[in-house]
Amino acid sequence: MKTRPIATAMAIGAGLIVLSGYFIPALDFIRIEMIQWAVVAGGTAALVGIGNLFTVHFQKVRRREKDSFYSLTLLVSMLGTLLAGMFSLFFNRSLAWLQPAVNAIIVPVEASLMALLAVTLLYASIRLLRRRPDWMSALFLLSAVTIIGATAILPLFLRDIGDVILSWMSLLLAGGGSRGLLMGVALGALTTGLRIIFGIDRPYGGK
Amino acid sequence: MPNLEFVEFANSLIGFILTLMVLSYLIGDNPLFRFAVYLFVGVSAGYIAVVTWQQALMPKLFLPLIQAPWPGRVLYLIPLLLFVLMLMKISPRLSWLGGPAMGYMAGVAAATAVGGAIFGTLFPQILAAAEPFDLGAADPLSSIFNGALLLLGTVATLAYFHFGARRAPDGSTRRNPLISLAAGIGQVFIALTFGVLFAGVYSAALTALIERIGALIGLFF
Repeated sequence: MKTRPIATAMAIGAGLIVLSGYFIPALDFIRIEMIQWAVVAGGTAALVGIGNLFTVHFQKVRRREKDSFYSLTLLVSMLGTLLAGMFSLFFNRSLAWLQPAVNAIIVPVEASLMALLAVTLLYASIRLLRRRPDWMSALFLLSAVTIIGATAILPLFLRDIGDVILSWMSLLLAGGGSRGLLMGVALGALTTGLRIIFGIDRPYGGK
Repeated sequence: MPNLEFVEFANSLIGFILTLMVLSYLIGDNPLFRFAVYLFVGVSAGYIAVVTWQQALMPKLFLPLIQAPWPGRVLYLIPLLLFVLMLMKISPRLSWLGGPAMGYMAGVAAATAVGGAIFGTLFPQILAAAEPFDLGAADPLSSIFNGALLLLGTVATLAYFHFGARRAPDGSTRRNPLISLAAGIGQVFIALTFGVLFAGVYSAALTALIERIGALIGLFF
């Protein structure tokens, strides 16, 4: 039995009820309750995704594929964190036992990857000027350099001028552009959302 | 119970080693970098699974199913059904059963996106764009000038993404000259905006780099 029509009906029905909740105050509590159910479904989808990640790397280790040592590292660290978290919840009713994993692994690696980004972005901006030496690239980099200069490099006695440049650039010129981009994104989300609610687009597996 | 100072030192030492491993990517892709990244992905995945269980599934599904008063408890059979259907996605043979749960999630997400776009972005942004034109402001001339510049940036940026064109009698397609002019102005605003956004991201990344170098030096000196 195929569930495609049921999935489409679920998407249209749930979408219409939740959308109605925004406009009809009497339906607001249903909207909030249905969003809570979607959080449960989303959480389960996250667990399914993590389960899939586990399966893929488990198969790599079982077949002894090339670089399966890294997959083994991933599996051991995932299972270790999962077990520590479950024991912590069971005995401590909190995630306190996971705090060392966050402090020693997640935070330093995230910060280091962010630090790598500083070098990568600098390299990318130099490459941009070499590969696309047009006025758009020049204006883009000029505004970036002006903002960084006005906030970080200017000596103290020039800070007032820096503040004026900063407010002109970021509040007025970039403000108008970012408002346009924001409204464009919202209009895009609006049309895509309506296409899903009316069953024209079916990103849940239907055609 | 381990000594707290020792635990803190051990955390810092592991963080120090992992920082060096990640920053070793600057000399090229290497096994140390890969090990650190796989370890990070594994720990993060485990952490996300536990947090999902603690923050979403326990309080919004299992606890109410056990503790809620009887008539209301029946209501939680719907998320329980969604939970079971979504779990079917694990098995390739039964994954088709997860379709309705995916459909439900897509429908709710789409409706939330539409509501958020209308009430969270479009209305507030339109009202904010009109606000500087209030003649009762303290300095109306300056306010109107700033508002007009902001409005020009907004309209020109939106015009840049309008790709509609008319077919001329000779078969070529041409953009409306007015839209074309607005799109040209919009290009300037977009370049400036992305420049400012780039500066923000770069500053954050630079701060992280300085913090990491500080942490490397601070562990031993």
